[in-house]
Amino acid sequence: MPESYRPGSREDFDRLYRVAYPRVFRTVAAILADPAAAEDCTQDAFVQAFQAWKRWRPDAPAEAWVHRIAVNRAISYRRSARLRGVGEVLRRLGRPTHVNDPADDATRRDLLTALRAINPKLAAAIVLRHYHGYNNREIAAALGVSERTVGARLHQAALNLRAQLDTDFSLEAVETFTSEPDETYAKR
Amino acid sequence: MPSAEDEELRRGLTTALDKVQPPYSTPRYLAVRPRPLAWRLAPAVLAVTALSALVISAYAGTGSPNPVVWTEKVVNVVQPPASSPTPEQTQQSPSAKPAPSHAESPEPAQSPEPRESPEPAQSPEPSDDHDSSPSPPPSTTTSDSGDGERS
Repeated sequence: MPESYRPGSREDFDRLYRVAYPRVFRTVAAILADPAAAEDCTQDAFVQAFQAWKRWRPDAPAEAWVHRIAVNRAISYRRSARLRGVGEVLRRLGRPTHVNDPADDATRRDLLTALRAINPKLAAAIVLRHYHGYNNREIAAALGVSERTVGARLHQAALNLRAQLDTDFSLEAVETFTSEPDETYAKR
Repeated sequence: MPSAEDEELRRGLTTALDKVQPPYSTPRYLAVRPRPLAWRLAPAVLAVTALSALVISAYAGTGSPNPVVWTEKVVNVVQPPASSPTPEQTQQSPSAKPAPSHAESPEPAQSPEPRESPEPAQSPEPSDDHDSSPSPPPSTTTSDSGDGERS
């Protein structure tokens, strides 16, 4: 059952944060390779949403509305990250990194790396549809596009992912993945 | 109905993203303070203040509370009259102005003479033989006058 929120209600926004924060973070993490950047974008998105909470209209799901803010921030971040270059890398040194389970590391890097290699708008559409279970209308609200554009993006995203993964979406092959831990499919 | 590919993609994404754990830190929006009411009214207050200053300075400069006077003052300052007549010309102007069609008008080239219409040139000059009445169409008879020979 979809959550219902009242615009401007502080309690409802707190509840929205508890429910939507992990989901929004995972969407942004599928776009950005850096977990710290994903956290920054997600937190900033909720700050922006909180400031505009009184003006939010319930015609679209609140989580989709926050997703829209967060995805836009992630896209801007990715665009500017290319310009920051080495300086950004040096700034992030020293932060505790997330400890990966080696057994699952191959799976995560395979599909997530492919997602992060394609256009972020397409990656967001894929995640919203196949991970969060959004329908076309909700994806349109989350990305700020028409429903028709959503269909085109999903189709294009599937093609691009297929090209990145170089398989026919056969993810069972991950179990036999024997590449080096730092080897990826994405060519940067 | 999701296809096999969609189902496979869903499973792959679930496997990959469920393991992405968000860092549970203090929400940043809790530190956001709402803007005071004064800041929201600041633009309107600024506009009113600027308008008041403008009105007061206009009143002080013209000595009149009438906005029309202010406008005229501004116009006169921005665009002074093109030909400001000298005192000698202003004394002579009452005699010169009322007679633009005077024979000694200093600008004969500029104003055309509308009285001399070109119309008389268009119509043929009436000859002495013709009657004043409109000339009849040319007839076969040679004499059309009533004084013709009667036999």
